[in-house]
Amino acid sequence: MDDVLEKLLQTPRLWRGCSPADKPGWRGLESGYPRLDRHLPGGGWPPHALTEILLEHYGTGELKLLMPALARLSQASGEDAAGWIAWIAPPFDPYPPALAQWGINLSRVLIVRPKKAGECLWAAEQALSSGNCVAVLVWSERMDDVASRRLQLAAEKGQSWAIAFRSVKALSGSSAAALRIRVSAGEKGTDLGILKSRGGRPAVIRDYASAAEH
Amino acid sequence: MLKKVRAQHTAQQSLSLEVPAVRAEFTQASNARPAVVRHLWLGVYLPALALEAVMDVNSADAFAVVEDQQGLRRVLLTNAKATAAGICRGMSVNAALALLPVLSLAERNPAREEQVLIKLVTWAKQFTSFVSIEKPAVLLLEIAGSLRLFGGLGTLRRRISGDLQQQGFTASLAIAPTPLAATWLARAGNRVCIRDRKNLTGALSRLPLSCLDWPEAVCESLQAMGIAAIGDCLRLPRQGFARRFGASCLLQLDRALGRLPDPRKCYLTAEVFCREYELNEEQSDRELLLNACRELLLELERFLLSRQRMVQRIRFSFFHLQGPATHLTVGCAQADRSIEHWCELLAIRLDRLQLPAAVIAIRLQSSRGQPLSTTTGRLAFSKTDSRRQESLISHLVERLSARIGDESVHGIMAVAEHRPQYAWRASRLFAQPPQCPATPPVAELWRNSSLLSQRPLWMLPEPRALDMRQNLPHYQGPLTLLDGPERLETGWWDDDGIARDYFVASNPAGMQLWIFRNRTRDNHGESGWYLHGMFG
Repeated sequence: MDDVLEKLLQTPRLWRGCSPADKPGWRGLESGYPRLDRHLPGGGWPPHALTEILLEHYGTGELKLLMPALARLSQASGEDAAGWIAWIAPPFDPYPPALAQWGINLSRVLIVRPKKAGECLWAAEQALSSGNCVAVLVWSERMDDVASRRLQLAAEKGQSWAIAFRSVKALSGSSAAALRIRVSAGEKGTDLGILKSRGGRPAVIRDYASAAEH
Repeated sequence: MLKKVRAQHTAQQSLSLEVPAVRAEFTQASNARPAVVRHLWLGVYLPALALEAVMDVNSADAFAVVEDQQGLRRVLLTNAKATAAGICRGMSVNAALALLPVLSLAERNPAREEQVLIKLVTWAKQFTSFVSIEKPAVLLLEIAGSLRLFGGLGTLRRRISGDLQQQGFTASLAIAPTPLAATWLARAGNRVCIRDRKNLTGALSRLPLSCLDWPEAVCESLQAMGIAAIGDCLRLPRQGFARRFGASCLLQLDRALGRLPDPRKCYLTAEVFCREYELNEEQSDRELLLNACRELLLELERFLLSRQRMVQRIRFSFFHLQGPATHLTVGCAQADRSIEHWCELLAIRLDRLQLPAAVIAIRLQSSRGQPLSTTTGRLAFSKTDSRRQESLISHLVERLSARIGDESVHGIMAVAEHRPQYAWRASRLFAQPPQCPATPPVAELWRNSSLLSQRPLWMLPEPRALDMRQNLPHYQGPLTLLDGPERLETGWWDDDGIARDYFVASNPAGMQLWIFRNRTRDNHGESGWYLHGMFG
């Protein structure tokens, strides 16, 4: 029995889902939420790639999810200078006192409010590929498969973390993002659904902010 | 021989032209430290300026410049091809045309010559701050202070003559400690370099009188006396020389030899850059227009370099054959002078510019700008070069604001204020002086104080009135109050005072909201509920 299993494991046709996740070849950006990190390959947000966040309503904990990682990126640490964070077409005003409470370096925040919807993705692409922004947050209604591929390439080029906020209606469409997460309200807190994760597996995390496992 | 001349001069102390103080200083200086050179002048003589100013550089035809001389049009200068055909200076136009019927002729244009000289001054300002024009065709550059920067006399001289050649000018250069000596030596076509005043008399003595710019009559009578070179003049008794040929000639000789001071006027180039580029024909192709603009920007860069300035805003005007010109102002967040950067911004703007008609000419104007601030190079290999990063982010910001608009790209800052709507404001990027701390202390306060309650990440531009159902505020469902109240009652001193109780609430969709109730009742006697932010 044992050697049958051994033989089976040696077969190159057999795909073992767990192996790439264990050694993804990169180190993720720690999200600050240990329960989420455990489900992400590399132990954190995929750096230099596009992360898509799908949500039904703004204000359901989608920003809180990113804040610890963004705060660390915006502060100078050791060799790395403080990085710029670009907010492109945010739906409301990002509130500086709250950002400061989360530890974001306000002098490194860049707000861009394009007047036309088409300029939104252009601005995001510019910011990503310039290589000066550590993270670019973009809210766009017009995102499609092609746009997500462009953002993904720009993020790779500029070594930047792209975060796109999209409506849950985009759930059925395909996307080039390295990570797609659905944020929704749960019974106790905010639930996360990992829909697509490059090198990882889909998962559902209930009430991600709490420390305890449910 | 030299000593004899000097002895002769000292003997005649009664001369009114002598200035004893200067003289004494000169002799003293030359005795004590003969090697010290206070000034060094590079004379650039352009013998063919009249021709080069009006000639088309790319044309290969035989070409001559003519001038009216006593009612007769005579050839003044010719290019190589015309010379080869046997046309020479002083020939009448008819004779020249008889020799070579295809000869193209142009009238001499003194105004154009002056323009060319001024353009050359702008160019020469990159080597020294002091450039003076000695009409009609000599530029004087004071180079004593530039030698070290440009790697010595030989290198500087090679570079200047190379640049001139590249621009299509024939030039003869000479270096001497006095401006007049440099002028005369350059006119004589001597490629000499005299650094010490002691050698000046020897070098000038051999020069013919023709390279001096003296009146015709003076030269003729000197010739008649058998005097052909400057050295012969120097041997004449000063008093008699001054009486016969005028004090000004003697003054010039003294100045050339450095016995008397020779103050010069530095030519000041215009403070503001304004150049025009005329296209050969009407043009509406963006690529060609951009190339023409690039040409102008190149000149702007040279201009700014010579004045050690940089600009923040430039203005292009596109002229059409009919109708008013189209203007395009391009600005950047941080003053800059690099042409690549301006070109990039211009390309974005030009792409979106609606030109009503084809363009016939382009003008580039710049503001006076600000003094150039250079950064010191660093020998660090770490990524912590914040200055560099700052400049790169400014390039991104400029690109974004060039397309989207200045007011649409900004930063944010926290303000020390209790009223939530005034506790922040949009800030201009890079507007703060560099000595200000990067993070305002207010933000530190928010971060470190545990007494302040949590603020929402999203703020609504204006508070939004909430629906009331069964005495409960609704926002996509009935709201449950989670935390509060936090009473904010302040600002009574101006018109916008508030008296509010803030609550954290959640709705059935799972949104965390920041809502408030006014403590003062409105006209209907109701104290309404409002939504002010979301916790994101």
